[in-house]
Amino acid sequence: MNATPAETFRAFTEDIGRWWRPNGLFQFSEGRNGTLAFETGSNRHLVETYDDGTAFIIGPVRVWDPPRRLVVGWRHATFTADQDAELHVRFDPVDGQTRVTVEHFGWDTIPADHAARHGIELATFQLRYAQWWQTLLQTLDAHRPN
Amino acid sequence: MTLEATRLDATLEALADPVRRRTIELLGVRPHRAGELADKLDVTPSVMSKHLRVLRHHGLVSETHPPFDARVRIYALDPAPIADLRAWLNTAERGWAEQLDAFRDHLDEHR
Repeated sequence: MNATPAETFRAFTEDIGRWWRPNGLFQFSEGRNGTLAFETGSNRHLVETYDDGTAFIIGPVRVWDPPRRLVVGWRHATFTADQDAELHVRFDPVDGQTRVTVEHFGWDTIPADHAARHGIELATFQLRYAQWWQTLLQTLDAHRPN
Repeated sequence: MTLEATRLDATLEALADPVRRRTIELLGVRPHRAGELADKLDVTPSVMSKHLRVLRHHGLVSETHPPFDARVRIYALDPAPIADLRAWLNTAERGWAEQLDAFRDHLDEHR
């Protein structure tokens, strides 16, 4: 990003409702898209609010360390109570700019058979699978002579 | 369901077994005879043959035999289904790439 870590962290959090692009892959409540926002105050959450005034809590902010790091819990409405993907975002200064690194953990807490049987949307299922198969493909690459 | 999705399901189903995944890894290095695979994976020839049948049925491996002996079967990896799997994974991963592109555009416009 062509900005300092402080500017980047601020824009990532304060402006998320303006830059976030709702898509099928990250649909929190099935069939509808709202506006994302980080709540202000000491007990912060990432929340999606909808046109009808209702809101869905995506997750609590677990680490709020501007301008370096951000950790947020991440649930979709179809997740069960023990299912939680966790988003880690790092903001590293690189030559006057900022490298934003996103790591999205925990898709493996969503069992594939559960996803298939209990109506977890396809996108979640795909992300969960993508992580699994990525590992297999890395193994394949490691075995392949060049 | 699209043909593409059906083929992807077939690939995932074929790979949803540790012996078959290991087989794919070994064939990724070089073609093997069925007997070699059974030895390396420590399974009986009949179990190996069952797994190879599934992999062949789903199009992940192909079977040939050397010109000098029609009884010997050599198995090789068919790269097409794995390439499809890779393309699909890239789509799933594009989710965050798109968000970060949108974020960069926002920063460039508003900082």
